Amino acid sequence: MTRKAHVLASVLALTVSMTALAACSSNSKDNGASPSGSQSPAGSASAGAGSSGAKDTITALLPPVSSGFQDRFEQLSKDFNAQYPNLTLKIEPASWEDMTQKLDTQVNAGSPPDIAFIGSEGISKYVQQGMMMDITDSVTPEMTDDYDKTPLEYMKNGTGLYGFPAYMEVHAIGGNKQFLEEAGIDWKKVQKDGWTFDEFREAIKKGVVKEGNETKRYGFVFATAGVTSKDYLNILIKNAGMPASFTTDLKYAYTSKNFLEVLKDVRVMIDDGSMPKELSSIDAGKRWNMFLTGQTMITGKGLATFENSANKNNAKIDANDGSAVKGSIKVDYIVLPVPTFLGQEPKSSTVVDGYVTFRGKKEPTAEHKANVVKAAYFLASGQVAATTNNDLFAAHISKSGRKAAESMTVNRNPDNVAAVQTLLSHATPARPDIPAELGAKAIKIEDEVIIPKLQALLANEIKPEEMYEAVKAAAVKAFGADGVVTD
Amino acid sequence: MALYRKHIGRRSTRRIRNAAIIVILLLFAAATLFPIYFMIISSFGDPVEAAAMSYSLWPGKISFASYQFFFDYSTYSLRWIGNSALVAGSVMITNVAFASLAGYAFSRIRFKGRSILFSLLLCAMMIPYQVTQVPLYILIVNTFHIQNTYGALILPGVVTVYNIFLAKQFMSTIPNEILECAKVEGCNQLQIYLRIVLPLSKTVLAVMAILTFMDSWNTFFWPFLVTNTMDMQTIQVGLKNFRFANTTYFAPMMAGATVSALPMFILFFSLQKYFLEGVTVGAVKG
Amino acid sequence: MTTPTMQTAQQAKTGRKRRIRGDGVWGYAFIAVALLVYAMFTAYPVVSAFFISFQHYKPLGSTFTGFDNYAATFRDPLFWKSIRNTLLYTVLTVPVALVLSFCVAILILPLKRRLQTTFKAIYYLPVVASGVALSVVWLWIFDPMPAGIFNRFIAVVGAHNQNWLGSSATAMFSLVIMAWLSSHGASIIIYLAALLGVDESYYEAAELDGATFLQKLWHIVIPFLKPTTLFLLVTGVIGSFQVFQNAFLMTGGGPDNATTMVGLLIFNNAFKYFEYGKAAAQSLILAVIIAGISLFQFKFLGKDVEY
Repeated sequence: MTRKAHVLASVLALTVSMTALAACSSNSKDNGASPSGSQSPAGSASAGAGSSGAKDTITALLPPVSSGFQDRFEQLSKDFNAQYPNLTLKIEPASWEDMTQKLDTQVNAGSPPDIAFIGSEGISKYVQQGMMMDITDSVTPEMTDDYDKTPLEYMKNGTGLYGFPAYMEVHAIGGNKQFLEEAGIDWKKVQKDGWTFDEFREAIKKGVVKEGNETKRYGFVFATAGVTSKDYLNILIKNAGMPASFTTDLKYAYTSKNFLEVLKDVRVMIDDGSMPKELSSIDAGKRWNMFLTGQTMITGKGLATFENSANKNNAKIDANDGSAVKGSIKVDYIVLPVPTFLGQEPKSSTVVDGYVTFRGKKEPTAEHKANVVKAAYFLASGQVAATTNNDLFAAHISKSGRKAAESMTVNRNPDNVAAVQTLLSHATPARPDIPAELGAKAIKIEDEVIIPKLQALLANEIKPEEMYEAVKAAAVKAFGADGVVTD
Repeated sequence: MALYRKHIGRRSTRRIRNAAIIVILLLFAAATLFPIYFMIISSFGDPVEAAAMSYSLWPGKISFASYQFFFDYSTYSLRWIGNSALVAGSVMITNVAFASLAGYAFSRIRFKGRSILFSLLLCAMMIPYQVTQVPLYILIVNTFHIQNTYGALILPGVVTVYNIFLAKQFMSTIPNEILECAKVEGCNQLQIYLRIVLPLSKTVLAVMAILTFMDSWNTFFWPFLVTNTMDMQTIQVGLKNFRFANTTYFAPMMAGATVSALPMFILFFSLQKYFLEGVTVGAVKG
Repeated sequence: MTTPTMQTAQQAKTGRKRRIRGDGVWGYAFIAVALLVYAMFTAYPVVSAFFISFQHYKPLGSTFTGFDNYAATFRDPLFWKSIRNTLLYTVLTVPVALVLSFCVAILILPLKRRLQTTFKAIYYLPVVASGVALSVVWLWIFDPMPAGIFNRFIAVVGAHNQNWLGSSATAMFSLVIMAWLSSHGASIIIYLAALLGVDESYYEAAELDGATFLQKLWHIVIPFLKPTTLFLLVTGVIGSFQVFQNAFLMTGGGPDNATTMVGLLIFNNAFKYFEYGKAAAQSLILAVIIAGISLFQFKFLGKDVEY
């Protein structure tokens, strides 16, 4: 018995010493560069006032925003350090899909990076967790004045400002110039004046090329596999009088009759044979392949940068060195607006991504906050923003970015540039007035009801009416009968 | 091997039997190997973006450009493999050592609380890791402050319940008489473990080593969470960096996957030899 | 029976009494490291998750909500659907995997050693390759268009083009096929290792009695492999209940939640919706279900197995 106790005691002792060791290391670590927001009191006390104060490290979690972006990280850190010698910018790379998971784990654990690059629609979710850092009192007027008003609004939630926007892009669709002309579609007119769903439906019918029973070319292919189905529906319903999930008086919008009409149209395009019946499992890579190999006339979603990809592939075909996409043809990429439904105003689905700021478990010191703001602004303006946005063919949204971009040249089709400008002119405005709690509920309905049902609708397993009823039931359950639109 | 009749009549009958078996095994192998085959032939493609997907079942040409591309992609490509090898190697050694000790204790040594402790261990297997992830992350990062170190990568995997369970199940099949004999002859438990149990368990330990190494080698999520610089990443985390927003460098990714699988094959073949010989000493006669 | 420990026989007589009592100490010493690691990196997070399951979790101060998370889970139809999906997946994959691995191991057994090694290696290959890379290949195989590999294959047989992962009717089946055609490597080598451990004398005795192949299989091999089968069954079922990666990478749970497994649901709750408390509650419910099934397996199959 005594020996047993002995062993147990030594195990216990070991555990205790391990814990003590851990505690030791945590102390020593805190005095060094703290990973996130949690400035050690000693550090800030010795700091004193002034911008050239104590040393500080700012961490940033960044995805490959543009193809050359991650290669420039080392240079970015160096440039930032040259500008602010007391500050170190530590950049952590992650791919797009991993980035959210990592960020979410870090947020859950209460230790996110200082800065992360995310879509503005994600802000409300993190605000609700209480982990975003409101930088309203730390930004200088020069910083806020640098940005266009619309994109900056997207970085707000309620009254707080949570970072700086990097770019504002519109979700459009993209056409093959040659095929459009063969089908007799006046794409220049469409770029200027837009089109209604009925016009669009006729157009994509004409785009279909058949060989016997087999479709050689579809009129329209949109990536809808998995989560991309969300983009598809969102783009369409914005043009059907539902620019956001809530109306201006904060009623849930997708219970409107218009929503049902859009769902019916989604089905109609497949039943017409203009879209493949396997649409529900076509992913982003697949449909881009179909576009480049001439298997579809129009594809979606379309971002400005796709013109760049198409041009690159054309150059490879010209070079004839076998590096072009197998079976691909030369394509002139044409930016096209999304059709409008039921006589509604066109409203472009707008994506604003940016550098958002997080806090740790401890309240951040004013000084650390100011440093984080400096880093976020550094990334989201001037030379850095100009280079990145040019990579993406995205419009510049800050004065400093435009200025820096003046000396850079981009090879773009002027018609497309004009078309994007038109689309941007009716960009959907930001809705910082939607409370984080309502926003989170709407996201949950989207994930748990809308997306699964849409997948079933695309696979022809349920009727549009069934999906509409399911969404309505979930909405009434979440927001009450008074909290939803009835028309 | 005497499950099969040793003297199955004529030689030719045995040959036919074996040939039939081989054909069946090959068919099953073809089905299971298809994705791997696809991975390897795709890796010989040109390093173009994924839009260039083709479903040719035969490589049009063999080019190592994608391998080149993979190693050129990051200066850390080789270091990722090194990191993976270090982490997986450490985890493999600690698991074999500690899981076999614990497995032996749980199966063959009577001590108070044995079954309760073992059930406790088993319970842990039943909790989905998705949920322990966050507390574990908090422990490693916020309490121990060892993120981005080898410690963070290795410590949580030092010994897994699965391996203890595996060792215990195997060691419970060791005939009792052998152990009793040793006891009567005055061996203490450590001696029994080292001189009798370990040699008899070579097979399971080799299996455990391979499985553990492979598991650790292929783990993505945990190393991804606790590393934050390129030089500390493992090969799986590095591989994922190939994937971009809308396009994927498919052939280089497959080249990377092939490269990452290669050390496993080497380990597998070398260990395979070892444990086959170890075990067949007594069992095989002809 | 000669053992290498003869020399200690002398000391044995004098130390005998203490040794019998001392066994327990050895036991504790042997499990010490395992227990320590377990306590720190497994038990602590589990206990932590247990407390979180009674909270509305937020990184900056959670609120205690009692059994709300559990109640909400039991009311959630999606939770029950995911349990159903998981059960279906388990029933379709685990037994088939066991039978397949067992048959393959038996078939490999009579071959020459070099061939054995080769086949083991071949079957092990799919386990070795990175799951992420292979899932991309599987996406190709299940390409819904007529050019897709599986679709071309079934077209030869004269079947219609299938929207494999995109339709509720075939999505789950596609994941099951994927499981059937991969990941047997480990079970095969574990079985084979166990088969090689069967003592020769059993077969010899049986042969003297004129036992046939099937009789030997039934009376010697299957009983002898019972601990192994039990191990593979229990860990297989546990693994299957926690399955997450395939659904996550291949279908994202769709279409219409036809492939949403409990593991994926928990992941979504924890990370996508930040309902970490609910995720913790669901995982504990899942743990109880798994524990119940495992216990049943032990009781039902493990009657004569010492564990």
